[in-house]
Amino acid sequence: MVDSPALTRKFQKELNAGIASLVLLSVLDKTKKPMYGYQIAKLLEDYSGDASFMKQGALYPVLHSLENSALLESKVEPSVSGPPRRYYAITSEGRETLVVWQGVWKQMKSFVDKAIKGA
Amino acid sequence: MIKSIEEYLELLKTELQGSDAATVQDALSDAEDHLRAALVNLREKQPEVSEEAALDQIIEQYGSPSETASAYVEVERRTIPQLSRAHINNESVLSRFFGVYTDARAWGALLYMLIAFVTGVFYFSWAVTGLATSISFALFIFGLPFALLFFISVRGLALLEGRLVEGLLGVRMPRRPLFTQQNLKWLDRLKELAMDRHTWFSILYMFIQFVLGTIYFVLFVTVLSFSLSFIAIPFIQEILGYGAVMNNNIRYYFPTWSYPLLVFGGIFLWTAFMNLARGIGQLHGRMAKALLVTD
Repeated sequence: MVDSPALTRKFQKELNAGIASLVLLSVLDKTKKPMYGYQIAKLLEDYSGDASFMKQGALYPVLHSLENSALLESKVEPSVSGPPRRYYAITSEGRETLVVWQGVWKQMKSFVDKAIKGA
Repeated sequence: MIKSIEEYLELLKTELQGSDAATVQDALSDAEDHLRAALVNLREKQPEVSEEAALDQIIEQYGSPSETASAYVEVERRTIPQLSRAHINNESVLSRFFGVYTDARAWGALLYMLIAFVTGVFYFSWAVTGLATSISFALFIFGLPFALLFFISVRGLALLEGRLVEGLLGVRMPRRPLFTQQNLKWLDRLKELAMDRHTWFSILYMFIQFVLGTIYFVLFVTVLSFSLSFIAIPFIQEILGYGAVMNNNIRYYFPTWSYPLLVFGGIFLWTAFMNLARGIGQLHGRMAKALLVTD
């Protein structure tokens, strides 16, 4: 028998691999202030509603990799309660890249939609 | 069921076994930050939920240790530090030798050798001052807090040095500070730092950097001035009309036929040094990783 929940999870994970970067860049582009990891996770939770598309823990490595490619920058600031927090902000390079990526996403979306509908 | 954040971090560490030490350190630090923030938040909103149940709910959203570990491994596989991208070498020995000029790692290593002189002197003075004052202040009541401040500064400098090493030498180093428990009393914190061999390895590195930084700098300046002098000899003799070597007030001239050899010798010497620098950079990176990154 086909283990469909496991296959679905795998499918979801593969989808997320690219989308997570787009989503994180978009979120940080929209907010005017830098945000820390937990804040971003909370915001995405609001967006996704009951359906959870990706585990919050999976966001962090993507944040690192975006920072490593200079699309994001981060700085550590002390917090009133608890340990210091790392705040992420989008760079101008990140904004330029985001515009391109949004274009790619639009094309991709219409392509997939057409494929599904078969029209 | 996972009962505490510490337990989660332990499991995550086990899951990440075999991964790059720097990745493990980043993953633990992210998870700790997130879980603590989430726990505080949830407990404020729903004080009636027990800590265990709250943590269970949070981990459900954050991902199990194995899920989190696989996310890091997956992304890490796709991101390689900028300068570590290996050159494909199927060229001749000669073009490989002179190809060093197009290798960003060689230039990075060269720059690092210069910077190491400055950082080395700074680290050394910092470590000596910190250790000496911590020990002598131990006679007084404020010796211990002073030692704590010094140890914390060592951790900070180790992270900073790691960023330099990754940026210039292309060796993957931690991007986040080392995970520390936040709820410790300062005396326990001091004990934890003093017992951690990572702290002492970092201090050792600070001393070694002083010696190496000086050697690198001397090498750099010596080879650069020799190379430049060789290349400059024909120009000095022909354009300025001076003999290139002066001894006992007598000027000696290099014969004209030796000019091409001198210029080539100068270029060769510098190119050889660039190749050497790249090698030194890789070795230094490996040492930095061994001493500054916990396993």
